[in-house]
Amino acid sequence: MRGWLFPLLLGLVLAFLGYHLTLVQFPRVLMSLATHRIAKGMGYNAMFAAPLATDKARAIVRPSPDLAYSSCPFDLSNGPVLVDVEPAPAPYWSLSVFDSRTDVVYVRNNIDAGNQPIRVAIARPGQPVPDGMTAVRVDGTTGIALIRILAPDRAGFGAIDIARKKSSCKALS
Amino acid sequence: MKPWIRYAVCAVLGLALGAGVAIQHVRTGVLGASRAIGPWTTGSDFGTARASAFTRAVVSLRGLLALPAHEARYYNAAVDSAGEPLDGRCRYRVSGRAIPGKWWSLTLYDHPGYLVANQANRFSVASAAVPNPAAWDVIVAPAEQAGLWLPTGRIDRFELTLRVYLPDDGGLGTMTRDRLPAIVKEGC
Repeated sequence: MRGWLFPLLLGLVLAFLGYHLTLVQFPRVLMSLATHRIAKGMGYNAMFAAPLATDKARAIVRPSPDLAYSSCPFDLSNGPVLVDVEPAPAPYWSLSVFDSRTDVVYVRNNIDAGNQPIRVAIARPGQPVPDGMTAVRVDGTTGIALIRILAPDRAGFGAIDIARKKSSCKALS
Repeated sequence: MKPWIRYAVCAVLGLALGAGVAIQHVRTGVLGASRAIGPWTTGSDFGTARASAFTRAVVSLRGLLALPAHEARYYNAAVDSAGEPLDGRCRYRVSGRAIPGKWWSLTLYDHPGYLVANQANRFSVASAAVPNPAAWDVIVAPAEQAGLWLPTGRIDRFELTLRVYLPDDGGLGTMTRDRLPAIVKEGC
Protein backbone atom coordinates (compact mmCIF):
# COMPACT_ATOMS: atom_id res chain seq x y z
CA MET A 1 0.00 0.00 0.00
CA ARG A 2 2.91 2.32 0.74
CA GLY A 3 3.76 2.23 -2.95
CA TRP A 4 0.50 4.07 -3.72
CA LEU A 5 1.04 7.07 -1.42
CA PHE A 6 2.94 9.28 -3.84
CA PRO A 7 0.91 8.25 -6.91
CA LEU A 8 -2.28 9.13 -4.99
CA LEU A 9 -0.81 12.48 -3.96
CA LEU A 10 0.03 13.13 -7.61
CA GLY A 11 -3.55 12.21 -8.53
CA LEU A 12 -4.91 14.70 -5.99
CA VAL A 13 -2.72 17.50 -7.30
CA LEU A 14 -3.73 16.73 -10.88
CA ALA A 15 -7.40 16.58 -9.90
CA PHE A 16 -7.07 20.11 -8.50
CA LEU A 17 -5.29 21.26 -11.66
CA GLY A 18 -7.80 19.46 -13.91
CA TYR A 19 -10.68 21.19 -12.12
CA HIS A 20 -9.25 24.67 -12.66
CA LEU A 21 -8.05 24.02 -16.22
CA THR A 22 -11.51 22.77 -17.15
CA LEU A 23 -13.18 25.86 -15.64
CA VAL A 24 -10.83 28.14 -17.58
CA GLN A 25 -11.27 26.29 -20.87
CA PHE A 26 -15.04 25.79 -20.55
CA PRO A 27 -16.13 29.24 -21.82
CA ARG A 28 -13.49 29.23 -24.57
CA VAL A 29 -14.81 25.92 -25.89
CA LEU A 30 -18.46 27.00 -25.77
CA MET A 31 -17.62 30.36 -27.37
CA SER A 32 -15.68 28.60 -30.10
CA LEU A 33 -18.60 26.25 -30.76
CA ALA A 34 -21.07 29.16 -30.86
CA THR A 35 -18.84 31.19 -33.19
CA HIS A 36 -18.41 28.21 -35.49
CA ARG A 37 -22.15 27.43 -35.43
CA ILE A 38 -23.07 30.99 -36.43
CA ALA A 39 -20.37 31.03 -39.12
CA LYS A 40 -21.86 27.92 -40.71
CA GLY A 41 -24.63 30.09 -42.17
CA MET A 42 -22.88 33.10 -43.73
CA GLY A 43 -19.23 32.37 -43.02
CA TYR A 44 -16.82 34.43 -40.92
CA ASN A 45 -16.67 38.22 -41.17
CA ALA A 46 -20.24 38.52 -42.43
CA MET A 47 -23.35 39.81 -40.67
CA PHE A 48 -26.08 37.26 -40.08
CA ALA A 49 -29.56 38.65 -39.29
CA ALA A 50 -31.27 35.96 -37.23
CA PRO A 51 -35.06 35.77 -37.08
CA LEU A 52 -36.75 36.72 -33.80
CA ALA A 53 -36.21 33.97 -31.26
CA THR A 54 -38.88 31.33 -30.73
CA ASP A 55 -38.92 27.94 -29.05
CA LYS A 56 -37.31 26.57 -32.24
CA ALA A 57 -34.17 28.70 -31.71
CA ARG A 58 -31.32 26.51 -30.48
CA ALA A 59 -28.20 28.37 -31.65
CA ILE A 60 -27.70 30.37 -28.45
CA VAL A 61 -29.04 29.67 -24.97
CA ARG A 62 -31.36 32.13 -23.24
CA PRO A 63 -32.13 34.34 -26.25
CA SER A 64 -34.35 37.34 -25.61
CA PRO A 65 -37.55 37.13 -27.69
CA ASP A 66 -37.83 40.94 -27.47
CA LEU A 67 -34.60 41.52 -29.33
CA ALA A 68 -33.61 41.11 -32.96
CA TYR A 69 -30.08 39.75 -33.10
CA SER A 70 -27.62 40.25 -35.93
CA SER A 71 -24.27 38.59 -35.36
CA CYS A 72 -20.89 38.62 -37.03
CA PRO A 73 -18.55 35.75 -36.15
CA PHE A 74 -15.18 37.33 -36.81
CA ASP A 75 -11.76 35.89 -37.58
CA LEU A 76 -8.82 38.29 -37.38
CA SER A 77 -6.21 35.86 -38.75
CA ASN A 78 -5.85 37.87 -41.95
CA GLY A 79 -6.35 41.35 -40.50
CA PRO A 80 -8.95 43.61 -38.88
CA VAL A 81 -12.68 43.32 -39.43
CA LEU A 82 -14.86 46.38 -39.98
CA VAL A 83 -18.32 46.52 -38.41
CA ASP A 84 -20.79 49.14 -39.56
CA VAL A 85 -24.06 49.47 -37.63
CA GLU A 86 -26.82 51.51 -39.19
CA PRO A 87 -29.45 53.06 -36.90
CA ALA A 88 -32.69 51.12 -36.54
CA PRO A 89 -36.18 52.54 -35.91
CA ALA A 90 -36.28 51.13 -32.38
CA PRO A 91 -36.09 52.58 -28.87
CA TYR A 92 -32.91 50.61 -28.15
CA TRP A 93 -30.14 49.09 -30.23
CA SER A 94 -26.54 48.31 -29.44
CA LEU A 95 -23.33 46.77 -30.69
CA SER A 96 -21.29 44.55 -28.40
CA VAL A 97 -18.05 42.74 -29.21
CA PHE A 98 -17.15 39.51 -27.39
CA ASP A 99 -13.70 37.96 -27.40
CA SER A 100 -12.91 34.25 -27.37
CA ARG A 101 -13.06 34.23 -23.55
CA THR A 102 -16.64 35.64 -23.63
CA ASP A 103 -15.51 39.01 -22.26
CA VAL A 104 -17.27 42.08 -23.63
CA VAL A 105 -14.48 44.25 -25.01
CA TYR A 106 -16.76 46.90 -26.48
CA VAL A 107 -20.37 47.94 -26.09
CA ARG A 108 -22.14 51.02 -27.39
CA ASN A 109 -25.87 51.68 -27.68
CA ASN A 110 -28.01 54.09 -29.69
CA ILE A 111 -28.19 56.59 -26.82
CA ASP A 112 -24.37 56.70 -26.46
CA ALA A 113 -24.15 57.09 -30.23
CA GLY A 114 -26.86 59.77 -30.50
CA ASN A 115 -28.74 57.47 -32.88
CA GLN A 116 -25.91 57.83 -35.39
CA PRO A 117 -24.16 54.92 -37.13
CA ILE A 118 -21.49 53.03 -35.21
CA ARG A 119 -18.35 52.08 -37.12
CA VAL A 120 -15.54 50.13 -35.51
CA ALA A 121 -12.53 48.10 -36.59
CA ILE A 122 -12.00 44.92 -34.58
CA ALA A 123 -8.29 44.13 -34.48
CA ARG A 124 -5.66 42.22 -32.57
CA PRO A 125 -3.04 44.20 -30.69
CA GLY A 126 -0.60 45.65 -33.22
CA GLN A 127 -2.82 45.26 -36.28
CA PRO A 128 -3.14 48.67 -37.99
CA VAL A 129 -6.65 50.07 -38.43
CA PRO A 130 -7.77 52.84 -40.81
CA ASP A 131 -7.30 56.42 -39.61
CA GLY A 132 -10.33 57.84 -37.84
CA MET A 133 -11.81 54.43 -37.18
CA THR A 134 -12.54 53.37 -33.60
CA ALA A 135 -10.28 50.40 -32.88
CA VAL A 136 -11.64 47.55 -30.75
CA ARG A 137 -8.69 45.46 -29.63
CA VAL A 138 -9.25 41.81 -28.76
CA ASP A 139 -7.01 39.01 -27.56
CA GLY A 140 -7.27 35.91 -29.69
CA THR A 141 -8.33 35.74 -33.32
CA THR A 142 -12.02 34.92 -33.11
CA GLY A 143 -15.14 36.22 -31.38
CA ILE A 144 -18.60 37.57 -32.07
CA ALA A 145 -19.85 41.09 -32.78
CA LEU A 146 -23.51 41.25 -31.84
CA ILE A 147 -26.17 43.82 -32.70
CA ARG A 148 -29.23 43.83 -30.45
CA ILE A 149 -32.33 45.75 -31.53
CA LEU A 150 -35.38 46.03 -29.30
CA ALA A 151 -38.46 44.89 -31.21
CA PRO A 152 -41.27 45.74 -28.80
CA ASP A 153 -43.95 44.68 -31.26
CA ARG A 154 -43.51 41.61 -33.47
CA ALA A 155 -46.08 43.01 -35.90
CA GLY A 156 -43.87 46.05 -36.47
CA PHE A 157 -40.70 44.04 -36.93
CA GLY A 158 -40.63 44.50 -40.72
CA ALA A 159 -39.24 48.06 -40.61
CA ILE A 160 -36.57 47.03 -38.10
CA ASP A 161 -35.65 44.02 -40.22
CA ILE A 162 -35.16 46.18 -43.31
CA ALA A 163 -33.03 48.70 -41.40
CA ARG A 164 -30.82 46.15 -39.66
CA LYS A 165 -29.90 44.46 -42.92
CA LYS A 166 -28.03 47.64 -43.89
CA SER A 167 -25.51 46.90 -41.14
CA SER A 168 -22.43 45.05 -42.28
CA CYS A 169 -19.32 43.22 -41.22
CA LYS A 170 -16.37 42.61 -43.51
CA ALA A 171 -12.65 41.90 -43.48
CA LEU A 172 -10.46 44.93 -44.10
CA SER A 173 -8.09 43.11 -46.43
CA MET B 1 2.46 -3.36 -10.49
CA LYS B 2 5.36 -1.26 -11.66
CA PRO B 3 5.67 2.15 -10.01
CA TRP B 4 5.29 4.11 -13.25
CA ILE B 5 1.99 2.38 -13.92
CA ARG B 6 0.73 3.48 -10.50
CA TYR B 7 1.72 7.06 -11.26
CA ALA B 8 0.14 6.94 -14.71
CA VAL B 9 -3.12 5.47 -13.41
CA CYS B 10 -3.39 8.04 -10.61
CA ALA B 11 -2.48 10.91 -12.93
CA VAL B 12 -5.11 9.99 -15.50
CA LEU B 13 -7.78 9.34 -12.87
CA GLY B 14 -6.91 12.59 -11.07
CA LEU B 15 -7.21 14.69 -14.20
CA ALA B 16 -10.44 12.96 -15.22
CA LEU B 17 -11.89 13.40 -11.74
CA GLY B 18 -11.00 17.11 -11.63
CA ALA B 19 -12.46 17.74 -15.08
CA GLY B 20 -15.59 15.76 -14.30
CA VAL B 21 -16.23 17.60 -11.04
CA ALA B 22 -15.72 20.94 -12.77
CA ILE B 23 -18.17 20.09 -15.56
CA GLN B 24 -20.76 18.86 -13.08
CA HIS B 25 -20.21 21.97 -10.94
CA VAL B 26 -20.87 24.21 -13.95
CA ARG B 27 -23.84 22.16 -15.19
CA THR B 28 -25.57 22.50 -11.83
CA GLY B 29 -24.54 26.14 -11.48
CA VAL B 30 -27.08 28.93 -11.53
CA LEU B 31 -26.67 32.31 -13.21
CA GLY B 32 -25.47 34.69 -10.54
CA ALA B 33 -25.62 32.02 -7.85
CA SER B 34 -23.30 34.11 -5.73
CA ARG B 35 -26.02 36.72 -5.14
CA ALA B 36 -29.48 35.47 -4.10
CA ILE B 37 -32.27 37.98 -3.37
CA GLY B 38 -35.48 36.16 -2.46
CA PRO B 39 -36.25 33.87 -5.41
CA TRP B 40 -33.91 35.80 -7.72
CA THR B 41 -30.20 35.33 -8.35
CA THR B 42 -27.98 37.80 -10.12
CA GLY B 43 -24.43 38.87 -10.73
CA SER B 44 -22.82 42.16 -11.61
CA ASP B 45 -19.67 40.89 -13.31
CA PHE B 46 -21.12 39.01 -16.30
CA GLY B 47 -19.09 39.61 -19.45
CA THR B 48 -16.27 41.37 -17.62
CA ALA B 49 -12.64 40.52 -17.07
CA ARG B 50 -13.19 40.50 -13.29
CA ALA B 51 -15.64 37.58 -13.45
CA SER B 52 -14.34 34.46 -11.74
CA ALA B 53 -13.56 31.38 -13.80
CA PHE B 54 -16.65 29.69 -12.36
CA THR B 55 -18.98 32.63 -13.15
CA ARG B 56 -17.54 32.86 -16.65
CA ALA B 57 -18.13 29.13 -17.20
CA VAL B 58 -21.72 29.22 -15.91
CA VAL B 59 -22.54 32.32 -17.97
CA SER B 60 -21.10 30.67 -21.08
CA LEU B 61 -23.39 27.69 -20.50
CA ARG B 62 -26.54 29.47 -19.30
CA GLY B 63 -26.36 32.90 -20.90
CA LEU B 64 -23.61 33.20 -23.49
CA LEU B 65 -23.10 36.75 -24.82
CA ALA B 66 -24.50 38.40 -21.69
CA LEU B 67 -23.93 42.15 -21.45
CA PRO B 68 -22.01 43.93 -18.70
CA ALA B 69 -23.96 45.42 -15.79
CA HIS B 70 -24.00 49.02 -17.01
CA GLU B 71 -25.84 47.89 -20.14
CA ALA B 72 -28.13 45.23 -18.69
CA ARG B 73 -28.78 43.43 -15.42
CA TYR B 74 -30.04 39.86 -15.44
CA TYR B 75 -32.10 38.42 -12.58
CA ASN B 76 -32.96 34.73 -12.77
CA ALA B 77 -35.51 32.74 -10.75
CA ALA B 78 -35.87 28.96 -10.67
CA VAL B 79 -37.97 29.02 -7.47
CA ASP B 80 -40.95 31.01 -6.23
CA SER B 81 -40.97 33.39 -3.26
CA ALA B 82 -41.55 30.42 -0.94
CA GLY B 83 -38.44 28.70 -2.28
CA GLU B 84 -40.34 25.99 -4.18
CA PRO B 85 -39.20 25.07 -7.73
CA LEU B 86 -41.23 26.74 -10.48
CA ASP B 87 -43.62 24.13 -11.89
CA GLY B 88 -45.11 24.58 -15.36
CA ARG B 89 -48.36 22.91 -14.32
CA CYS B 90 -49.05 25.57 -11.68
CA ARG B 91 -50.29 29.16 -11.75
CA TYR B 92 -48.11 31.96 -10.36
CA ARG B 93 -48.66 35.67 -9.88
CA VAL B 94 -45.55 37.76 -10.51
CA SER B 95 -46.13 41.16 -8.88
CA GLY B 96 -43.78 44.02 -9.41
CA ARG B 97 -43.26 47.72 -8.83
CA ALA B 98 -41.39 50.27 -10.92
CA ILE B 99 -38.21 48.69 -12.31
CA PRO B 100 -35.36 51.24 -12.38
CA GLY B 101 -34.16 50.98 -15.96
CA LYS B 102 -34.93 52.17 -19.47
CA TRP B 103 -36.91 49.02 -20.25
CA TRP B 104 -37.30 45.52 -18.91
CA SER B 105 -38.69 42.17 -19.91
CA LEU B 106 -39.69 38.98 -18.14
CA THR B 107 -38.98 35.79 -20.13
CA LEU B 108 -39.81 32.17 -19.42
CA TYR B 109 -37.24 29.44 -20.23
CA ASP B 110 -36.88 25.73 -19.68
CA HIS B 111 -33.96 24.61 -17.51
CA PRO B 112 -31.41 24.37 -20.36
CA GLY B 113 -32.26 27.98 -21.27
CA TYR B 114 -34.52 27.68 -24.31
CA LEU B 115 -37.86 29.32 -24.96
CA VAL B 116 -40.85 27.08 -24.29
CA ALA B 117 -43.33 26.05 -27.00
CA ASN B 118 -46.88 27.23 -26.30
CA GLN B 119 -50.01 27.70 -28.37
CA ALA B 120 -50.01 31.48 -27.93
CA ASN B 121 -46.41 31.78 -29.21
CA ARG B 122 -45.76 34.15 -26.31
CA PHE B 123 -42.38 33.97 -24.63
CA SER B 124 -42.06 37.16 -22.62
CA VAL B 125 -43.77 40.21 -21.20
CA ALA B 126 -42.00 43.52 -21.74
CA SER B 127 -42.35 46.79 -19.86
CA ALA B 128 -44.07 48.41 -22.86
CA ALA B 129 -47.00 46.02 -22.39
CA VAL B 130 -47.55 46.93 -18.74
CA PRO B 131 -50.42 49.43 -18.24
CA ASN B 132 -49.14 50.71 -14.90
CA PRO B 133 -45.36 50.39 -14.55
CA ALA B 134 -45.56 51.32 -10.84
CA ALA B 135 -47.69 48.30 -9.91
CA TRP B 136 -48.09 45.37 -12.26
CA ASP B 137 -48.97 41.69 -12.26
CA VAL B 138 -48.10 38.96 -14.74
CA ILE B 139 -49.86 35.61 -14.46
CA VAL B 140 -47.58 32.70 -15.32
CA ALA B 141 -49.74 29.66 -16.00
CA PRO B 142 -50.29 26.80 -18.46
CA ALA B 143 -53.78 27.95 -19.58
CA GLU B 144 -54.76 31.34 -20.96
CA GLN B 145 -55.41 34.01 -18.34
CA ALA B 146 -56.99 37.45 -18.34
CA GLY B 147 -54.51 40.33 -18.25
CA LEU B 148 -50.81 39.79 -18.84
CA TRP B 149 -50.27 36.07 -19.28
CA LEU B 150 -46.99 34.23 -19.71
CA PRO B 151 -47.58 30.60 -20.79
CA THR B 152 -45.59 27.79 -19.18
CA GLY B 153 -46.27 25.16 -21.85
CA ARG B 154 -46.98 22.75 -18.94
CA ILE B 155 -43.32 21.79 -18.64
CA ASP B 156 -42.12 20.29 -15.35
CA ARG B 157 -39.64 22.99 -14.39
CA PHE B 158 -39.19 26.46 -15.75
CA GLU B 159 -37.15 29.56 -14.99
CA LEU B 160 -37.88 33.26 -15.26
CA THR B 161 -35.33 35.83 -16.37
CA LEU B 162 -35.87 39.51 -15.69
CA ARG B 163 -33.71 41.70 -17.92
CA VAL B 164 -33.29 45.32 -16.95
CA TYR B 165 -31.69 47.32 -19.75
CA LEU B 166 -29.76 50.52 -19.04
CA PRO B 167 -30.34 50.40 -15.27
CA ASP B 168 -30.81 53.81 -13.68
CA ASP B 169 -27.81 53.34 -11.39
CA GLY B 170 -25.52 52.34 -14.23
CA GLY B 171 -25.55 48.75 -13.00
CA LEU B 172 -23.59 49.64 -9.88
CA GLY B 173 -26.26 48.49 -7.45
CA THR B 174 -28.50 45.46 -7.19
CA MET B 175 -32.24 45.65 -6.71
CA THR B 176 -33.42 44.76 -3.24
CA ARG B 177 -36.03 42.10 -2.48
CA ASP B 178 -38.66 44.85 -2.10
CA ARG B 179 -37.84 46.19 -5.54
CA LEU B 180 -37.79 42.83 -7.30
CA PRO B 181 -41.05 41.14 -8.29
CA ALA B 182 -42.61 38.60 -5.92
CA ILE B 183 -43.45 35.18 -7.38
CA VAL B 184 -46.43 33.68 -5.57
CA LYS B 185 -47.94 30.30 -6.37
CA GLU B 186 -51.74 30.51 -6.61
CA GLY B 187 -52.54 26.90 -7.39
CA CYS B 188 -51.75 23.81 -9.43
